[in-house]
Formats: sequence, structure tokens, C-alpha cells
Amino acid sequence: MVDNERAYWKSLAQRDDGTIPLPVVGSEPHDVSSPGARGVTRRDFLAAAGFTFGSVALTGCNRAPIEKAIPYLVQPEAIIPGRATFYASTCGACSAGCGLLVKNRDGRAIKLEGNPDHPHSLGGLCAIGQASVLGPYDSKRLQAPLLKNVSAKWDAVDGEIVARLEAIRRDGGTVRVLSGPVTSPTTRRMIDSFLGTFADARHVTYEALSTSAIYRAHERTHGARLLPRYAFDKADVIVAFDADFLGTWISPVVFAAGWSAGRDADAMRFSHHVQFEGRMSITGAKADQRIRIAPGELGLVMSHLASMLAHRAGRSFDSGSLATCPIDVHVLEGLADRLWHARGKSLVVCGSQDTDEQVLCNFINHLLGSYGATIDIQHAARRSDDDDAVQGLLQEMDSGTVDALFVHGVNPVYDLPNGADFAQALAKVETVVSFADHADETSRLARYNCPDHHYLESWGDADAGDGTISFRQPTMRPMFDTRSALESLSIWSGKKLSARAIVQETWKGRVSWDAAIHDGLATVRSEPISVSAFRSESVKAVRAAQPIPDGKLALALYPKASMLDGRSASNPWLQEMPDPISKVVWDNYACLSEPAATQLGMATGDIVRIDAGASKSIELPVLVQPGQHDQVIAIALGYGRAESARFADVGPEWLERKPVLGDNGLVGTSAAPLLTYRDDTLRLSGAIVSVTRTGRTHDLACTQDYHNIEVPEHLTVPGMNRRRPLIREVSIASYKKDGTLGHDAHGGHHDLGELWADDHKYEGHHWGMAIDLTACTGCSACVVACQVENNVPVVGRDEVRRKRIMHWMRIDRYYCDNNGDVDVAHQPMMCHHCDHAPCETVCPVLATVHSDEGLNQQTYNRCVGTRYCANNCPYKVRRFNWFEYAREDTLANMMLNPDVTVRSRGVMEKCSFCVQRIEQARVQAKQEGRPIADGDVVPACQQSCPARAIVFGDTNDPESAVSKMIARGRHYRLLEETNVRPSVGYLGLVRNREDDKDQTHHG
Amino acid sequence: MASAHAAISGPLILGDKSPGQVTDDICSVLERGPAPSWWVAITVSSSMLLLGLITVGYQVLTGIGTWGLNNTVGWAFDITNFVFWIGIGHAGTLISAVLFLFRQKWRTSVNRAAEAMTIIAVMCAGIFPLIHMGRPWLAHWMAPYPNTRGPLWINFRSPLVWDFFAISTYFTISAMFWYLGMIPDLATLRDRLTGGWRKKAASFLSLGWNGSFRTWFHYETVYLLLAGLATPLVLSVHTIVSWDFATSVIPGWHTTILPPYFVAGAIFSGMSMVLTLMLIARKTMGLEDYLTKQHVGAMCKLLIATGGMVAMAYLTEFVAAMYSNNEYEQFAFINRAKGPLCWSYWIMVSCNVLTPQILWFKWARSNMAVVFVVSILINIGMWFERFVIIVTSLHRDYLPSSWTGYVPTSIEIATLVGSFGLFLTLFLLFCRFIPVIAIAEVKGVLSHGRKSHE
Repeated sequence: MVDNERAYWKSLAQRDDGTIPLPVVGSEPHDVSSPGARGVTRRDFLAAAGFTFGSVALTGCNRAPIEKAIPYLVQPEAIIPGRATFYASTCGACSAGCGLLVKNRDGRAIKLEGNPDHPHSLGGLCAIGQASVLGPYDSKRLQAPLLKNVSAKWDAVDGEIVARLEAIRRDGGTVRVLSGPVTSPTTRRMIDSFLGTFADARHVTYEALSTSAIYRAHERTHGARLLPRYAFDKADVIVAFDADFLGTWISPVVFAAGWSAGRDADAMRFSHHVQFEGRMSITGAKADQRIRIAPGELGLVMSHLASMLAHRAGRSFDSGSLATCPIDVHVLEGLADRLWHARGKSLVVCGSQDTDEQVLCNFINHLLGSYGATIDIQHAARRSDDDDAVQGLLQEMDSGTVDALFVHGVNPVYDLPNGADFAQALAKVETVVSFADHADETSRLARYNCPDHHYLESWGDADAGDGTISFRQPTMRPMFDTRSALESLSIWSGKKLSARAIVQETWKGRVSWDAAIHDGLATVRSEPISVSAFRSESVKAVRAAQPIPDGKLALALYPKASMLDGRSASNPWLQEMPDPISKVVWDNYACLSEPAATQLGMATGDIVRIDAGASKSIELPVLVQPGQHDQVIAIALGYGRAESARFADVGPEWLERKPVLGDNGLVGTSAAPLLTYRDDTLRLSGAIVSVTRTGRTHDLACTQDYHNIEVPEHLTVPGMNRRRPLIREVSIASYKKDGTLGHDAHGGHHDLGELWADDHKYEGHHWGMAIDLTACTGCSACVVACQVENNVPVVGRDEVRRKRIMHWMRIDRYYCDNNGDVDVAHQPMMCHHCDHAPCETVCPVLATVHSDEGLNQQTYNRCVGTRYCANNCPYKVRRFNWFEYAREDTLANMMLNPDVTVRSRGVMEKCSFCVQRIEQARVQAKQEGRPIADGDVVPACQQSCPARAIVFGDTNDPESAVSKMIARGRHYRLLEETNVRPSVGYLGLVRNREDDKDQTHHG
Repeated sequence: MASAHAAISGPLILGDKSPGQVTDDICSVLERGPAPSWWVAITVSSSMLLLGLITVGYQVLTGIGTWGLNNTVGWAFDITNFVFWIGIGHAGTLISAVLFLFRQKWRTSVNRAAEAMTIIAVMCAGIFPLIHMGRPWLAHWMAPYPNTRGPLWINFRSPLVWDFFAISTYFTISAMFWYLGMIPDLATLRDRLTGGWRKKAASFLSLGWNGSFRTWFHYETVYLLLAGLATPLVLSVHTIVSWDFATSVIPGWHTTILPPYFVAGAIFSGMSMVLTLMLIARKTMGLEDYLTKQHVGAMCKLLIATGGMVAMAYLTEFVAAMYSNNEYEQFAFINRAKGPLCWSYWIMVSCNVLTPQILWFKWARSNMAVVFVVSILINIGMWFERFVIIVTSLHRDYLPSSWTGYVPTSIEIATLVGSFGLFLTLFLLFCRFIPVIAIAEVKGVLSHGRKSHE
């Protein structure tokens, strides 16, 4: 436009004259400007200056470094940035092999969920499984093969190994493979074919948490070496002898699901669970009747029970010279009656490592008709691991006859009682190859370290024994220069195949490969194991209990729910997971009963020397454990691992900081030297130890200071009930009668009135949660699941000691005196998303507000950190960032959940009901043009819970699962009388007890 | 009035001083160089202040984790110190405004110092809400100002916001009141000084005071109005501070008695702090004639009265909790007296309830050493009162699973020391540069010349 009005001058004179008509821009004359003739006007100057200064200022604002986001040049199929993909796989954290769905974002596995389609684990996943997602991002992993502990190239390592193996083949030398129990048919096939190329080769397996007595017992009683399948859901009476089947025994996720399915108070089907044990396990905590016996009394008690049952069955059992029963015979007779009445629907399990005791257990099950009903041995896993084989191997190595040893998945130098001997013997083996992914106690002594992939990076499979094959697929590219053990074995066998091809080869023609990988599992036809009829002649009564001399204690070693045998010791999440019973983190300790501790003059925190004779002694702090047998000292295995030295720097650095590690420079102390070998089995219990004080003390980091549901007597008004009405429990008898939790001063729904008009209507959704305390075992899978999902930092031992754990979800554990015995109750606790949230009104800056769907939302970047909200929270679920809790291993930042903000120092945080999952479900539903359906939103805690104790959903929808839970007679809300209107409710704790002493009686 | 008062209990100012003598006595403190004792005092107090500054700097850089707080006990030393200093700050307004309105002439000797103490104490108090934040650099978010975040407004339902307004109002009014009352004396200083920056400052700050009838008339009117304006603040500030606790759901905090309880406690603690400072000042600065035993006695009587109210509040709280039949309530109070932190409760009771009882005796009231010890004990007791209310209520509330303890760290203790450092340093500077006694007001209560008149 302006161009059309341009003026051309005809001569230089005319131009300089200034007589050319100027274009008119705008209507006002002062808009006309001519730089040459009239100079710069004030307005122009100001405009230009303003623009200049403005742009300078704006440029100055951009302090952030320029970063280039590079989009996919060729976008991989099915990968949409910002959207997670899930791949089915199989958990490799222990030998249970639960089904997984691996959440993958931008090529990284960032969260594990249980695979709901898996027929055994049913979508549950334990804490260790949840935490194992950190494994690939561990910077302390072996990142490349090592040759004599020096980083090397695979070619070089392979070249040397192959040359040595050739020499062995030529000379007819001896090759041994030492591994844990192998549930993978492919691995077994590869090891067999590898060993097949040698003249003298053998595969030796063992497990530190040995179950080999069970296989041996079945070999004796049924003629087949196998691990039976137990159906806890089908049992009306469950008796466990020292078997922590809800916590750590064999396959706790599967067992917890079955156990909880058999205990539905509202469906009026409720099993009776009796636990015999010396320490306090989470299984014992859930038992309806818990009978304390020392480990050495187990066989005798079982013999008595067997004798009583044999009498009822009219079968012969030589009970002539049995020593007196260490427990009340009437109690045992009652139990025998109960079992006998429920024959065919009862189940007896035994966690002992004594073959004779396991045979007795088989005999009891046989008398009760459990085989074929609640125990399946025909579709069970055949097992070959054997504790005495590893001792045989040790002798072979010691005598110098082993030429090559391949170690896979075990750490004998750490977890054998004679680990030091093993280490010495290793030196006599010329070729030691380790597949370990860390420089652990054993692999440090290996000449060749050929690190295996993390299981999330590998192909694999697992055979459950009943025809269910679980498959494992790589869900991310290997982080480091590691190599699948399958590939290594194939290369050393002379044919180079990919792991995928190797696994595929195993199942060629038997499964539909694509479907199997997609589902993570397949069903194949499996021949039932042929077992013989029960061989009664193998049964031998245990006639006497192991005597415990005065002043000595019986040792019971146990695996912790977080640490097991210590294979996950380098995982900070598991180190910081509170023990479900003791609530202690970052340590193991010697549990003593209260009378024992008093008698020995010891208190929690005193360091004691535990002496098992033969110069086997360790030092540990004492923990006084209610409910423990008075003659038992219980110690967790799996601590004092070499890899735990890395945690020296975990937690904030400041003036009064206390060290994370113990005096030994490690987390905890290894109790493996106290393991015993007897009758060819590796035993957790059986040692008799003496305990002496060292005079030193150690401050255990415990998340809970006060453990009792009753407040101290001297702090109550005389005559008032000391029990706080937080855990409401009822006997099944009473619940069956009236379907409520009984008459309780705090019971029923309170009509508390309102100060203000009820003008906050929740017209759309209103999210809520119900937690079944009957089902919750306290296993803490939800705690770790929440931590992974929500980027909750690890704070370290000292911070926990200062009561600053960051877990958004915690499990409160209360003890309650029950006629001289101890009852334990677990209560998962997280933000209750109160509709009248006390935290919201007090925040001065509106950093915590309520959503129109009933969520209590925390706005991190608005929070100034007055902590008033946390003070005013009756549930004390708010968590403050006292320091900048940096991740100890920055590589682990790769697996942060990109949907959840990482919080900085000085802000408050708490459970969000996994709001990111709600939003995801909302988007998904919207795209599909439907409302959010019940079950679309599954928070991380609910997803992981093996016992299905947590239900989340829309409480506005009367048909939702959570609404149905709320409608049940045993639903109650915590601290309802404060009228904070929590959105989380609990289903009362029901125990299968006849006596209807009103346990919730109050006031 | 004054004469009637004097007839009963003797003259307010001893030594039968003439107005000129009064001016000389008070101004000479400023005009002669600082005494060695002042240098010693300021060295100690500024070292304490420096320590406080270093620890606060460390804490801001490192995190609130350097305090002994935990997930259950979110406030402890920080808010205890805050309430303690705010409480100290109450004496000033009470003496200057309330006693002024009640025509208590004896206040004239103490009001200047008490007001200075108030302002300094409020400054000390104001530091704690600031540094107790997780992100103190965002403290301005507590103020309602137009902003680019929405604009995102503050939460007017939060007692912390009420606090913000209450304290800033209190500080503003107190400072104005103090300054206004100082104008005639500043003019005196201006007239006496011969030069230097102090004269310039006094000239500027005395706002051209000429001592005319009109000036005095305006001055007296404004002073009266401000006194009326400030009087409700004596009640309101600590009432609002108490709402920080009273509006919560925590047993031990959630009580309706807190506002009067806090106000009484504040006056109690403020008076005892005034006494402490006054006794030191009259000794070291030779002001025995102005701050007489009669003044001390009057203050002691106030201590007995407010101490009685505080004791009543302790008792009422306990009885109300027992009467409520609410187990959490009952537990909270029994736990104070018999729980793991019971030592703090018994320090509080013995200092605040038992100690002041000695002041019923005249010999105790007129023995300066006894009064000094009592005032120090009450200061300690009142600090512990806030500690008891805050920490023992928080550390064991509803869920026993969350019960914890509390142990302060070195950083917290150093911060408390630092706040005393700030308080003492500013007070020492005040003593050096401003007449510690309101010269003009004291002249109004002199007995000099009155006797002959009567």
C-alpha cells in the first residue's frame, strides 16, 4: 500500500529541497516523519528506545541454556512420545517368576506392574519385584566384561575362555556350573548342552534360602524330587510351621493372593490360620492363632500332631517314646480336631530345612488328604537344587580337581556359612567365570567376569511346572556392554546364537511365539509328574526337642521381606523399606523377646556379640521384639553385603549428619557365618548361641517410635480405655452374627453437623479408596510401588532416624496385648484426601487445594514450606523436603516417572491418589468417547497389592467396587469424629476366632 | 493525680529533681562516651548476633533439615521463638497505650524503653516466620499483591495470613507510637547537641518541634488517639497468634481458651522482660531515681495478676480436657504433665506459676536481686510455655504410629542465641543513641515545685 504512494524525485535538487509530497500514513499529521528533513521526534525516540530497551531486557531474561529437542527422524511404530507402552515380561528378582507388565517410556523401563493375566501372581507384585526396576540404571553394575578385574573387550574375554575350554575338552578336564535354582527351561537346556561338550561336567545348584528339604522329603514320600504347588485359597484350615508364606517363603505373592481369597468375611468363607513359629513373621502376624515354639521344638510338635491325626485316621504312627509336648496338648488336640474336620480342605506347610520334619509335614498332609486337594505334586516344579552338592563342589575345588567353574546367580562366598573356605577353594580353580552383574564377594575372585544383562534387558522364560510358561522379553536396550548369559554359553559352546533365537528354539512348535511374547505367558501341555503312593515307611517321628542350655538361645535366621538373601542389597529402595514387623530400615539386628532381653540386661540398640562356637561370632544391635519366643534370637540374612558400601553418600550432607553405614563400612552385618549344615541341608535355624554385651550401642533407624495401639497407662485417665479406636477388629463369630464391627463408642456414622453450608457438591467423580485390613499383610509392596511411581526419594538412614522418611505411603504396625500373647495389626496409611481437609484451610499461599473430584492437591511450585499443613494433618501423612534429597546414583534419574514432578527442597508433598493415572484414564476415556469406567484408574499401591487389599474408585458411582466396599458392614473411617471427612476408609480387621470377646470394645 | 499518688506511695521520681536536672541526668547518658561495660555488652551481644547470622545463612543454604524437626513435629524452636518474642513485644504497647489511657503516671519512666523493647522484640519475632519457611526466598507470596501468577491470591482463611497482617499492623503502630512519643525528646537532644551527625539526625527527626502550645496541643491529641488505636492491638495480636493453634484440629491446640490465655501470657512475659531490662538499666546507667522501687513494685503486682491468669489458664485447659471426655484431648494434657517431654511442662509450671508467688511479699518486691531472678525465671518459663504448647501437642497426636520425639540441633540453639544477640544489640544501641526515659513525660510527674504549690 505504502509502496504505491512512494514518491520519486526528479533531480537531486528536488530531493534536497524537501518538496516531494510525502506519503500519508495514518490520519494524524504527527505520524508523518522524515528522518532526513525533520529529525527524530520525541515520540519516535521514545518508541525506539522503548523497543530497544525492551528487547535488551527480554533477551536478558532468557538465561536458560539453549537445548535442542530432537524429534524422532523416523518415528518407531507404536511409540508416541509422552505415552507409555507396556510390555509383558517375567520378574527375575527371585525364583518365583511373577508375571510383569513393564511400563516403558521413551525406550526406558520405568515401572513394573503385576500382570493381571498371569494365572499365579494375578497381577500382584512384591516389594522386591517393584524395586527391581532400578537394577538396569545402577551405575555400580559391571558395565563391561572384566578380565582379572580389569575392563576388557568381549572378544578378548571370549578368546581366552574358549581357548581354556578347548584345552579342558582336549584333556578331559572337569567343568562345573554353579547356579541358583533354574526355573528357565532355556537356561537349563543351554547349560546342559554347554556341559554336554565336556567329559566331566556337572551342574550344581543351591539356594541360600534353601527349600531342598521339601524336595528331599517328597523324594522319600512320593518318589519324586519336586516343589509342590500349594492352594491356600482352597484350604479351610491352614497350619504353617515356621513357614513365612505371606512374606518370604517360596512364592509369597502367589500365596498371599490365595490366602486372601480364602478369607472373605463378607462371603462368609474364612479360613482358619494357625502359625507355629519362634520369631515374629508377617505370616504369624496375620494368623488367627499363633503358637510360639523354638525352632528345635518344631519336629516334636509335628510328631505330636501327626500322632493325634494318625490316631483319628486309624493309621499307625510310632509315638511311643515321644517327649512331652512343649505346648499345651489341649491346644494341639483342638487343632488336630479342626484339621481332621476340615480334611480335604486343610493345608499344612512347613518351612523347616530338616528333611525329617518335612516328611512329617507330608505325612500330616497325607493323613488329611491334602494331596490332590490343596497340594498339587503332579503339576509341580521339578527341582534339582541340593545343598550338599555345593559342599561336594567345594571339596572338589579344594582338592584341585575342578578346572573351570561358572558361577551364575549365586554368591557362595557371601551366603555360604563357609564362604571363606569357598573363597580359598576358588583360588585353586584355574578358570573361574562369573555372570554376576555386580562386583560381589564371589565375582571379585573370578578371573573372568561376563556380566549378564539385567532381566529387563534379556530374553528368557520360566516354567511354573503346571504347564504355565512365563516369557521374558527385553523391554529396553541394554544400558551397558553386558551380554545375555544364554549368548555367552552359546558362544563358548561354539555356535553363536542370539538370546532370542535360543529362547525361540526351546519353544519351537510348542507355543505361538508372538502371542506368548505379547501375553508374557503361554500354556503348554505338561505331562503330570508320576509320583508313587505315599510311602509311610519313610516317616520317622522326631522324638525330642533340641535342648537349649541355660543362658543360651536358639538361633533363627530369617530372610527379610525386603532383603531376602541379600541379592538386592545394592537397591536403596529396599534398604529403606521399613521391615513390615520391626519397621527398622538400613540395618539388621538381633531380635530378642522382652523377657529374654530383660533377663540378659539388654535393651534395643545395645550391640551384642552372638557366639555360635567354633570362632563363629558376629556383632549386632539388639531389637526387643514382642511376640518372639523367649529362647529364640532371630537375625535377618542378606545384610553386610560388599555392595552396600556404596551407600556411604546416601542422604543429605550437613553438620550433624550421622553415617549411613555401620562400623564395618557396610549396611548391617552378614549373618551367613551362623548358618549351619546338618544332614546335608543348609539350615537357617538350629544353632545354639550365647549372647554377650559389648557395651557399645547403635541407634537403629526405625520409622515408628511407639508401637502399641494402646496408649501408655500412666498417660490415661484411670478407667478410660487405653486402646485407640484406629484398628477396629472383630471375631468372625461376631461378624457373622450382626455383620458389623460391634458396638463401639466411635462406631456407626456420626452426624456431626456442619458449620458451613454444604456447597461443595461433587457432581462428577469423587475418588475414594477402601483398604481391607483383613487382607493386608503389611508386605509393603505398595510402599515401594508408590515410591517408584511417584519419584519419592531415598533419604538415608540418618534421616529416617530423625523420622523424616519420605514414603507417601506407609504401613502403620501396631502391637496389642492379647491375653499375654501379642496381636499385630497393619494399617496402610496415606493421604486421606479429606473433603474437609484441615491442611487446606491453613496453607497461607493456597498451595494445597481441593479438586472438584475430591482430591486434595498439592501444588509444589506454590508451596513456601510453612509446614502448617503437616502439623494440622491428623493422619500425619504429609512429607516435607527437609533437604535437597538428591539421588545417590544420578543414572537412576533416567527412570524417573516423567508424569510426576520431582520435588525440590523446602516443599511439602504427599500421596496424590496417583493423579497422573487418573488423568491418563480421563484422556483415554475421552478419546474413546466414553466416561471413565470403574477400574480404569488403578493407583500404584492397588496395582501391586498381592492380597488385593486396596480398592480405588469413584464413590459417586454406586456400582463401583469401592462403593460396594464402603457399603459393607465392616467399613469405617479413621478419626471420623474429627469430621475431616476422609476419602479413604478401612474394612475392619476380622480374625477367625471363636471367642467373641469384643475386641473393639471401647470407652 | 500524681500528687495524690505521691501522697500515698511516695514520689514517682526521687531526688526532688528540677526539670533541668532531669534533662541533664537522662541526656548525660548519651552525651558522655560509652562506658566500658557497654563495650563489653555490645561485644558479647554482637557476637551472638553474628553466630545467629551465620547459622541462619547455613540453614537457608542447606535446608530446614538442619533443625531437629521431623514429619510429626513440623514446628518447634522456630515458632516457639516467634511466639516468645511476640509476647515480649506486648509490654510496650500495654505500658504506653493502655496504662496511658488509665492515667497510670508511673508508666512515664518505663514507657520509652518498653516501647523500644517492643519494636526490637517484634523484629526478632518477625525473623522466625521468615526463616522457618522451606523456601524463605518466596516469603513475599504471603502478601496479597497483584502478581503475574493468575493473579494467584493468598488464602485468607489461613491463620498464618492473619498473623502476617496482625504483626505488620502491630509493628507499624508500635513504631509510630514510639517515634511520636520521642519527638519532644529528640528536640531536646537537638537543642543540647553542638554538632555532628547526631544533631543533624535529631534536627531532622524532631520535625521542627518548637515547644509551642500549639505543638504540644497537637502532640497530646495525636498521642491520645494513637494510644486509643493501639489499645485493641494489645488484645488482637496475641489473640491472632493464638489462632495459629486454636483453629487447628490438633489436641492441645484446638482450644477456645487460647486467645485470653495467650494475651495474659504475653503481658506476663513482656512485663518480666521489661523488668529484666529495667533492673539492668537502672543499675548500669545510674537511673535509680527515675526507675524507683515503686516502679518495680507496680510491675511486680502486674506480674502477680497476669501470672495468676496464666496459672488459671493452665488449670482451665486441664479441667476442660478432662471434662470433654475426649480421649485425645485428655491424653494431650496428661502427656504434657507426664509424657516424655514433661520436664518442659514442669519448668513452665514452676517458673510461671510458682515463682511469681514470692512477689506477694513486699520484701521480695523491694529486693531488686529477688525481682531480677524472678523476672529471668519468668522469661524462661514463658519460653517453655510456648515450647510446651507447640511441641508436646504435636509430638503425640492422634495416631500412635506417628508419635515422635524432638531434640533441637546446634543450629536451632544457635539461632535462638542469635535472636537474643539481635535483641540485645539493638537495645544497647537504643540506650546509646536515644533517651531511655521519656524526658518530657517524666517532667510531668515530677514532685519538684509541686509541694510549695499545694
